[in-house]
Amino acid sequence: MRSEAELALLLPQQEAATGKGPREPAAPWRRWKYPLISGTTVTLFVLVWQLSGSLNWVDPLLLPPPSEILRTALELLASGYRQTPLWEHFLTSTARALVAFVVAIVSGVPLGLGMGLSPTLGAALNPFVQFLRPLPKIALIPLVIVWFGIGEGAKFFLIFISSFLSIVVGAAAAVLGVSQARRRAAQTLGANRRQLFLYVVLPNALPELFTSVRLSIGIGWTSLIAAEMVAASSGLGWMVINAGSYLRTDVVLLGIVLLGLTGYFFDWSLVHLQRRFAPWAGMDS
Amino acid sequence: MSLPPRISLQRVCKQFAGPTSAALDGDVLRDVSFVLSAGEFVCLLGASGCGKSTILNLVAGFDQADRGEVLLDGRPIHAPGPERGMVFQQPTLFPWLSVRDNVTFGPRMSGQTAQQYLPDAERYLRLVGLQDFAEHFPWQLSGGMRQRAALARAWLPNPEILLMDEPFGALDAQTRLAMQELLTTIWQTIQTTILFVTHDIDEALFLADRVLIMSARPGRIREELQVPFERPRSLEDLVADPRYGQLKRNILHVVREEAAKSLVGEPA
Repeated sequence: MRSEAELALLLPQQEAATGKGPREPAAPWRRWKYPLISGTTVTLFVLVWQLSGSLNWVDPLLLPPPSEILRTALELLASGYRQTPLWEHFLTSTARALVAFVVAIVSGVPLGLGMGLSPTLGAALNPFVQFLRPLPKIALIPLVIVWFGIGEGAKFFLIFISSFLSIVVGAAAAVLGVSQARRRAAQTLGANRRQLFLYVVLPNALPELFTSVRLSIGIGWTSLIAAEMVAASSGLGWMVINAGSYLRTDVVLLGIVLLGLTGYFFDWSLVHLQRRFAPWAGMDS
Repeated sequence: MSLPPRISLQRVCKQFAGPTSAALDGDVLRDVSFVLSAGEFVCLLGASGCGKSTILNLVAGFDQADRGEVLLDGRPIHAPGPERGMVFQQPTLFPWLSVRDNVTFGPRMSGQTAQQYLPDAERYLRLVGLQDFAEHFPWQLSGGMRQRAALARAWLPNPEILLMDEPFGALDAQTRLAMQELLTTIWQTIQTTILFVTHDIDEALFLADRVLIMSARPGRIREELQVPFERPRSLEDLVADPRYGQLKRNILHVVREEAAKSLVGEPA
């Protein structure tokens, strides 16, 4: 009989060599290629936008150029919009959204996992979730005002309910995503029901959970504007709406840029969290 | 045979109701009976769709027979258990765990401490040639390396019975040969009972003590034959042995007959 050492030598060695090691650092050009392309298109876009104003292609009242938006930003930073500093509008909006997101994630993920794991719970709650989820949340505004008044509660509720529902649906689907083969492999290794959930179903669902949280936060951020239309007197959403009625298109565009950048930043952070905590997303094994 | 049966199937029948096509309805297994003795290496040989994986699923406890009995040491099998390890066609590793954590999954589930399982784990990792890849993740390995990790993972809990569902089917010929030698060597040191499903005649003759040839659907054990070759076997000696050609020819004959039947039986 062959010894163990001999046997290990029998295994094809070149195969081990071609095994993909930990991600190798790519050449600088390859690494920066796509960010550079994106940077170039954005720069070109801003340039053309600026020229459209400087060369009077478009009435600056209809489309204020970037330089004017920048000037407005500095002005609002110094003196505020309607007696409220710009950073306060910004912070009010992000604070409202973040509180609602956190509560939605903390309550929605467990509920969704429960619905995915228990067909009974799923059947009991699914009609409500599926009815409410595609419902345009703006339709709820009159009711929300009657229920919560026009304070912070109303805004919180609107942002919360829009992200919560899609988190629940996403989490329920993520639980069901575990393949039969993976489940069976764990069972033949002696995993009981609890272990199967903790060590297989849950980590297996993690990448999809991240994706559904990303989508939900996008939806929640969208409904911020709707929430701040509810008789608010601060916040980026309110600022945009209010400035619109005074034809301050520069303030409107500034608000839009800030709303867009913040949403983009939220998503970017989540992508990085996902890479950090679920690096196997999309990988075959 | 003097050894007591570990696994025994008695007149096992299994039907599947095809959800979409009536052609899939009907018996998958009809009156399948065989016995697996302790320490035996048995290959289940048959064309795809003959129900050999279904037999494995019944023994693993993933599925229940409609009629007949599937027994482990005389007791009916109802659920999967760690005493029956399994290697699947695909490696089915857990991508969120390193190779070492994948391999030690079984002992960790049964509550063993690292001190208890780590020495054995390192030994198996060396044995399958992955000692330098223990910290890697499955998606950083080639297909053959993944399947070796899966083999070590199934073997570490020291299962009394190892069920293998065409585990080397997806590997290239050279890797497959190395894996087969690896498998027989580990098997000889540990003396597990192995039920190995394959459609590869050479593989069955190289590995098994006994080969069970299955009929076309509905699956039955059509023929059973002892493999006479001494162990340890080497493929070079095997192919030079006149008995090898004879055995292979006999099996081919049966397999071809069954293949013809299944073609005739196929709906137009």
